[in-house]
Amino acid sequence: MTTLPTSPLTSPREDHSLSLRGSRGLVWSVLRLHRAALWIWLLLLAAVSATMLWAYGPGFDAAAADLRQQCRDSVVACHFPSGPWYGKYDTAVALSTLVVAYLPFLVAVWAGAALIGRELETGTAHLAWTQSVSPARWLAAKLAVPALLITAGTAVLIPLHRLMWNGGEELLWADWYDQDAFHANGTVALAYALCGLAVGALAGLLLGRALPALGVAFAAMLAITYLGNDYRPSMWRTVTVTGAKALNLPDDSLRLDQGVITTEGTRIGNNLACTDALDGAADLRRCMARGGLSDIWATYHPRSHFWPLQLAETGIVLAVAALAVIAAFVLLNRRVATASAAASVPPDRRTAAVGAAV
Amino acid sequence: MSAFAVKGTAEEARALPRGPVRGLPWTVLRLHRAALVVWVTFLLAAVGTLVWEVEVIADSVRERIASCGENGGLCRLTTLVDYSGTISWASTLVYYSFFAVAAFAGGALIGRELENGTAQLAWTQSVSPTRWLAAKLAVPAVLLVLGGTVFVLVFRWAWAANRDLMGDDWTFNDVFAARGPALVAYGLCGLAVGALAGVVLRRSLPALGISCVVMYLLNHNLEKHRVDLWPTVASGGSTVGGLPDDVWQVGDGSFHTQSHYWPMHLVETGIVLGVAGLATAAAFGLLRRRTA
Amino acid sequence: MSRDEEGIALAAVGLGKRYRRRRGPVLRNCSFRLPAGRICALVGPNGAGKSTLLSLAAGLIRPTEGTLTVLGTTPAEARTRFAYVAQSKPLPPQLTVAATLRLGAELNRARWDRAAAERIAYGPLAPGGDRDGALDPTSKIRSLSGGQRTRVALALAFGKRPELMLLDEPMADLDPLARRELLGALLGEAAEHGTTIVISSHVIAELEGACDHLLLMGGGRIRLGGDPEQLLAAHTLLTGPARDLTGHTVVESRDAGRQLTALIRPGGPLPDDWQTAAPSLEELLLAHLRNPDAPDLFTEETVETDENEENARA
Repeated sequence: MTTLPTSPLTSPREDHSLSLRGSRGLVWSVLRLHRAALWIWLLLLAAVSATMLWAYGPGFDAAAADLRQQCRDSVVACHFPSGPWYGKYDTAVALSTLVVAYLPFLVAVWAGAALIGRELETGTAHLAWTQSVSPARWLAAKLAVPALLITAGTAVLIPLHRLMWNGGEELLWADWYDQDAFHANGTVALAYALCGLAVGALAGLLLGRALPALGVAFAAMLAITYLGNDYRPSMWRTVTVTGAKALNLPDDSLRLDQGVITTEGTRIGNNLACTDALDGAADLRRCMARGGLSDIWATYHPRSHFWPLQLAETGIVLAVAALAVIAAFVLLNRRVATASAAASVPPDRRTAAVGAAV
Repeated sequence: MSAFAVKGTAEEARALPRGPVRGLPWTVLRLHRAALVVWVTFLLAAVGTLVWEVEVIADSVRERIASCGENGGLCRLTTLVDYSGTISWASTLVYYSFFAVAAFAGGALIGRELENGTAQLAWTQSVSPTRWLAAKLAVPAVLLVLGGTVFVLVFRWAWAANRDLMGDDWTFNDVFAARGPALVAYGLCGLAVGALAGVVLRRSLPALGISCVVMYLLNHNLEKHRVDLWPTVASGGSTVGGLPDDVWQVGDGSFHTQSHYWPMHLVETGIVLGVAGLATAAAFGLLRRRTA
Repeated sequence: MSRDEEGIALAAVGLGKRYRRRRGPVLRNCSFRLPAGRICALVGPNGAGKSTLLSLAAGLIRPTEGTLTVLGTTPAEARTRFAYVAQSKPLPPQLTVAATLRLGAELNRARWDRAAAERIAYGPLAPGGDRDGALDPTSKIRSLSGGQRTRVALALAFGKRPELMLLDEPMADLDPLARRELLGALLGEAAEHGTTIVISSHVIAELEGACDHLLLMGGGRIRLGGDPEQLLAAHTLLTGPARDLTGHTVVESRDAGRQLTALIRPGGPLPDDWQTAAPSLEELLLAHLRNPDAPDLFTEETVETDENEENARA
């Protein structure tokens, strides 16, 4: 993956002489224009991958050994994990989760500001459009090249993050449904990153200016991420259990709601009646009889719903990304068409411009 | 007569623009009007939300809790989370708005102006680079101090108003910062760091990125080491009788009582302001060295 | 202060500027004087260092060596007294034309001339005002054409009522009529207020006739400096049989068999069998640009002598 941008593409001249496919030149120009971003991306990948590998192997081993030693020395330390090794391990895990989970924001602001907004602002986009590249192909290249690099990069990051996460479960005290971990442990990381690219590009095209596009792209991603977190539990059907099972959900379940059914058959949600009846089925029956209830229930997502939830959310977020891409192309086509019709100068100025050109 | 020819000037035409804000400050406000509008709106929304929650919503929250019934523990909890969550959203957003300030300062305020030459335009309009930078920093700084102070005062009142409805305590990251001058200090620090990045890099987007990264590193490390900013109380034998419930427990069993809030808070404020001062001095030094 | 310094708009002594340590200098050991009240053409090929010299004079960058005196003092001290228009005509894109002029007023509260600025920005472009090129005060800078932005930038310069105008390629975006009008306005300004004007350009033709002073830059230094007429008078264009030219300074010579064509600075009487002619300004400049080894030439008032140097230091 690291060799992709450098070796075959650094010599555009040969390419031109062949001129078989202009797309190679276009790909080269996208990579060359955003070389700094490419380097930062590669450095980030290398740094985060190294951090996660360290946390998976030596970091975890050192922290676990240190904690076992502390636990032998004092009982308090068993419940309050601390110490320099644990601190380093915790920081490494937290930072890499943060980067993988919030990568889409970085992609979105970059795409809005540097990839599209600045190019339109400084007019270098128009330069490209007058170099035998149609605006639509320009935008396609601007989206495809980063999309490939993002996909390739997250294809490395996500498995590594899973490796680190699964290996460190006994130290991390975190659940599979925690927002950041959920984002970093599956395909939604890729989906949100691509969505960031699309939303950023759309913001850049809409505003045509780097800094406002950056702000709007960030805000849009904030909204999309917030909605995703909010509606995540409803993206796959939940499991509902009744009776004693409602009191003892399987380990690692995401408990969503808890309620009762009265003897009249009314279902009441958000109610904790009889949840303290932990002594057994008989205790529960007594409590229900006392409260005029026929049953209690709980809805939840078991841990096995991790992948269905991931894939459902991935699909929805990719659909949002696709909509943004379509909107971007439609907007670009419409604008270019009007620009060629009116030469992008207001009618009253056109005479002056023509006069000036004489 | 040619358009460019400049003939004798009538005295009335020399009249200077009038208004409460003049000169450089007017320029700064006019150039960054969009940012000013966004920031004022944001702050008003945050303050308005706090006042609304405390003055209007709090009573209905109590009613809803009362109607939860005797087995409504979960119902009570979700109602509290609604109320407490909104207040904590306000403080979180305003606290971390120093990232936006740093991005603005590195990007639009300084970086872009140096990038597209409008800073140089000002420097050849009777304004020295030093005075230009001073105004660019002073005007936002005054607004940050004013707005931040208002928010801190309102937040202190809102946070203390209905403690029974709130699930947080004074040790939470955002609560810790938003109840005192540290919130303002972070804003000023974001401004200074952004300005320095803008002066160093002279390009808006790299300056924006770098200043956000620097602010993250500073803030992250301070949040992580907050407990070390003031000596803790050793637990000793008093743990047997149980600790007061508003202490900040440190891993090894020692703790901070709430009376440590102000010393810890002021130490952090001092560190952040120190960084802001250094960044400002560096920005001025660099600009002076570069220009005549 | 001596009369010399009061009457000098720009004086450079051993001026040098390099942008990066590893790169070569853009300006090197540059010394000259520009008397006040002149309209000076600063000409030279692309990359000769014209913009760097003007930026140094405007106090936007610092020289790496030497000194530059502007209006008898440092560029920073003289800031309120000169105007500068950069080559790229930077203006805040989000402002309207009216707000940009207000910006000039706010930044120059001590000496703003609103009428002068508005006449440049909104005045009719042609006699009678029948051309519709005048700017609308409410239009955004962002939406202006290059030439219109140049007008706004020039309006800021005129509104300042400067003693010295430093204009970096002001003509580039203007149509031919506007160019002539700009020259007219500059001449009027100079005549009425004694303003010194420095205009950089790589096209000498557009300034010929308007300027009464010339600075030719090449290779990071001033190659020729002085009144164009005096400079022309110092040169002769020769055609005649090939012969030894010792005793004269040869700027450029071309052999075509036995015939010789040369541009020289005569060092004495010329033989009769040579045809002589006065070169045109363009011929003079091109000959110097083609031959970087030709010695530099300054008229007396332009040369920065050691005596002047001491004055400048004092």
